[in-house]
Amino acid sequence: MDGIMRYSPGMEKLTVDTLRILARAQGLELTDAELTALLPLVEGGRNGLAAIRDLPVESEPASQFRVF
Amino acid sequence: MSELCWTSMTELARMIAGKKVSPVDVVQAHLDRITAIDGKVKAYITVMGESALAAARAAEAAVQSGAPLGPLHGVPMGLKDLYCTKGVKTTGGSKLLGEWVPGEDATVAARLAAAGAICLGKLNMHEFAYGPEGLNPHYGTPWNPWDVATHRICGGSSSGSGAAVAAGLCPGALGSDTGGSIRIPSSLCGLSGIKPTYGRVSRAGVLPLAWSMDHVGPMCRSVADCALMLAPMAGYDPRDPTTSVLPVPDYGAALTGQIKGLRVGLLRSFFLESAGAAQRAAVEAAAKLLESQGATVEPVDLKKVDLAPAVSHAVLAPEAYAYHEEWLKTRATEYGPDVRERLRLGAFVTGAEYLKGQRLRALFRDEVDQVFARLDVLLAPTTPTAATAVGQSEVRIGDGSFPVRPSLIRYTRPFNLTGHPAASVPCGFTTDGLPIGLQIVGRPFDEATVLRVADAYQRLTDWHTRRAPLGG
Repeated sequence: MDGIMRYSPGMEKLTVDTLRILARAQGLELTDAELTALLPLVEGGRNGLAAIRDLPVESEPASQFRVF
Repeated sequence: MSELCWTSMTELARMIAGKKVSPVDVVQAHLDRITAIDGKVKAYITVMGESALAAARAAEAAVQSGAPLGPLHGVPMGLKDLYCTKGVKTTGGSKLLGEWVPGEDATVAARLAAAGAICLGKLNMHEFAYGPEGLNPHYGTPWNPWDVATHRICGGSSSGSGAAVAAGLCPGALGSDTGGSIRIPSSLCGLSGIKPTYGRVSRAGVLPLAWSMDHVGPMCRSVADCALMLAPMAGYDPRDPTTSVLPVPDYGAALTGQIKGLRVGLLRSFFLESAGAAQRAAVEAAAKLLESQGATVEPVDLKKVDLAPAVSHAVLAPEAYAYHEEWLKTRATEYGPDVRERLRLGAFVTGAEYLKGQRLRALFRDEVDQVFARLDVLLAPTTPTAATAVGQSEVRIGDGSFPVRPSLIRYTRPFNLTGHPAASVPCGFTTDGLPIGLQIVGRPFDEATVLRVADAYQRLTDWHTRRAPLGG
């Protein structure tokens, strides 16, 4: 099942205002200057990951849960 | 200046056990040197002079009484200030924990003490280990001992460990490595350091940056000293469920100097081809030297390594945010500006993105494992550039200009994602006299081969024996 595209390319571009809403939803109160500085970094992270399209569906995350 | 401050841990252990030198004299010589030059170097956050001398006197008494001695009996060392030390403040390089005193030791601190090592103090670092430059706005940024005139970075996050060992302020130290924080300062400070396999060494009692990417390991002036330090640290720890039950080999016995028949992969695209000219030439020369001793060398490309920056961001940022979340909401102003901003980034990574990162990480690990089905070690530069000046944000590499921070971690962080063991050893100097690092990556839990190759290289070269000008 290699090559299946599972992530939509249509992600909405973030703005300072949408980033502020996201931050507030998590209890973070950031100034306009802080949000403006963060915006390109957040966008860079999102875009970098979204650009990776060929994740096989059967792949499992590297994290583990151990019962004991 | 005492020559004791330039004697290897291996030799100090031998001299102390043989009653050739007193551990009290060894510890005092290092404390004197710290007093003399650490005002400039800024390697230490806390110097444990009284407790170190008390331990040295006890060590001397044990030698005189003929008691059984551990492999590091009476040998001093330093701990990066994110290792918990019972009764001694552990700051994480931050104001937030400026007065925090843990109630128990990190497992590795206790194991090194049980092996006879004496802790001289707690070493400076990038705040909460979140930066490869090794900057610190709270305790001062350590000075790279290889340039007396210009304040250059030591690399991070274990910058104090790098500065201290390179300046003769301790013969060996512990660093920690989430994206390269042992290997980068080892490269920039002309040291030998190893990030063991994820799960080989306990992280219990070590302040986390990202639980699934943090590694614990030694930084010394030789590979033999790294082997000596790593041995008592390694192995299963019930306090850290991610540690492996696999037996720990005799790392000292692995240092045979023999590499005939060794199968070496030279990491080409992404690594060698984007390095500075001096780094590229030094690593190619190192590969040729190994080849001349009977190793076979072939070029290797890792197809998925381009994913590393995005995957690292997806995994590391939310793990770091999760640990710091409450402080970011209530004490944000106490962080340095760079680390505060970096930590906040993790708030905007979704759960699905985090798991996408963890899934891609498994695929990349599988690719590296497949390469190791036919090869014993991989070689690459540790960093594409030498130490830059403090405050410098861009660096010339080849014909281009690149941001310093992502450049420093470019070659190291892929192996934090995969968990493979990776060492850095000095392999040359730039025309400015700054050290260049050779990265040697091995199979999971095969630190012995990584150390053997690195030690064999040091038997053939003298890069690791040179002293930094500030240290000399």
